[in-house]
Amino acid sequence: MAEDLVLDTAIRDWVLVPLSVVMVLIGVLRYFVAKLMRSFQPPDRKALKEGQVVLRARNLKAGANFIPAKSFRVRRFYFTNEENGLLHVPKDQAQNAQAQMFSDPNMAMDMMKKNLSMIIPQTLTFAWVNFFFSGFVAAKIPFPLTQRFRSMLQNGIDLSTVDVSYVSSRSWYFLNLFGLRGLFSLILGEENAQDDTQRMMQMGGFGFDPTKSLSAEKDSLDIVQHEWVLPKMEQRAEEVLRKLVK
Amino acid sequence: MAVLEDGRASEKRSGDDGDDLPIFNAENLQSNMKSIYYSRSFLSIIGGVVAGIWGFTGLMGFVFYFLIMATASLGFVAKAKFSTHKYFDCRNRILMDGFLGGLMSFVLFWTFAYDIVHIF
Repeated sequence: MAEDLVLDTAIRDWVLVPLSVVMVLIGVLRYFVAKLMRSFQPPDRKALKEGQVVLRARNLKAGANFIPAKSFRVRRFYFTNEENGLLHVPKDQAQNAQAQMFSDPNMAMDMMKKNLSMIIPQTLTFAWVNFFFSGFVAAKIPFPLTQRFRSMLQNGIDLSTVDVSYVSSRSWYFLNLFGLRGLFSLILGEENAQDDTQRMMQMGGFGFDPTKSLSAEKDSLDIVQHEWVLPKMEQRAEEVLRKLVK
Repeated sequence: MAVLEDGRASEKRSGDDGDDLPIFNAENLQSNMKSIYYSRSFLSIIGGVVAGIWGFTGLMGFVFYFLIMATASLGFVAKAKFSTHKYFDCRNRILMDGFLGGLMSFVLFWTFAYDIVHIF
């Protein structure tokens, strides 16, 4: 009997469409709330200085091949010099900066706000779906899956002979959660292309910004091989100018 | 749509060794990548709806998705007038980037359209 259930039109009208509409609206709402709640902090002077130094080092690395070898070496020495080079941070200072980053109240507040704004709507929606829309078949996915997915996709339906393609509304919720990411990136502009799942994955890599990035820049600058990319430039310029003059 | 990225910093048209390293304007490159991402997202949504209405099931649907992505890649290459090195740093980017990113949106809209048209 596992073929072709006919489902009530009311399910389509009152389950599928409202759930999708609600998720889209919640996403839009979250975007605007995040935008309004973004508090403006006056930039920290020390962090700003370090950021600018890192930028200068990066520019040097990018344009290294366009300046003569000696000039490049002079500039690199200025940055990576052991005694008073800009990128060199003595060891004990490194530890302090890390501890400071953690106890910095502003940063902690921001993290917490971002976390909350992600997790709360997701939890609420999930609870709502579970409460109202459980215990019946909601949709049929057009491709077959193996029996192992049955417990995940059909959690409210207790018949074991129903085809795995017929899923409950919980799986419709998850499908929406992942699939609406693309739609959000189209309608909300590129800034909000990220959503919960991606941000949760990024939470793991919490970077201690100042000291690690400085030493990283120092290392990458140290390994740059200088290769003079404008050989015989004077002759080429001379040719071009002669052609123009003729 | 595809912003021409101002590649060569100085076009040295000398006779003999006129090879200059292509340098890429990062901003333009990023904007090109973004255009590609948007196009692929949009196409996967539309493709999902089409696949649902036509009643593809199972493997046929995924084949259809890959067909759409391949057509999109062809379209991008044609839009760049077949000289992708002027617009992107590596040819693989225009072909492979975002290939699987639109899969979830495709499946969502495919399921939605299929259910609305065929099951209900």
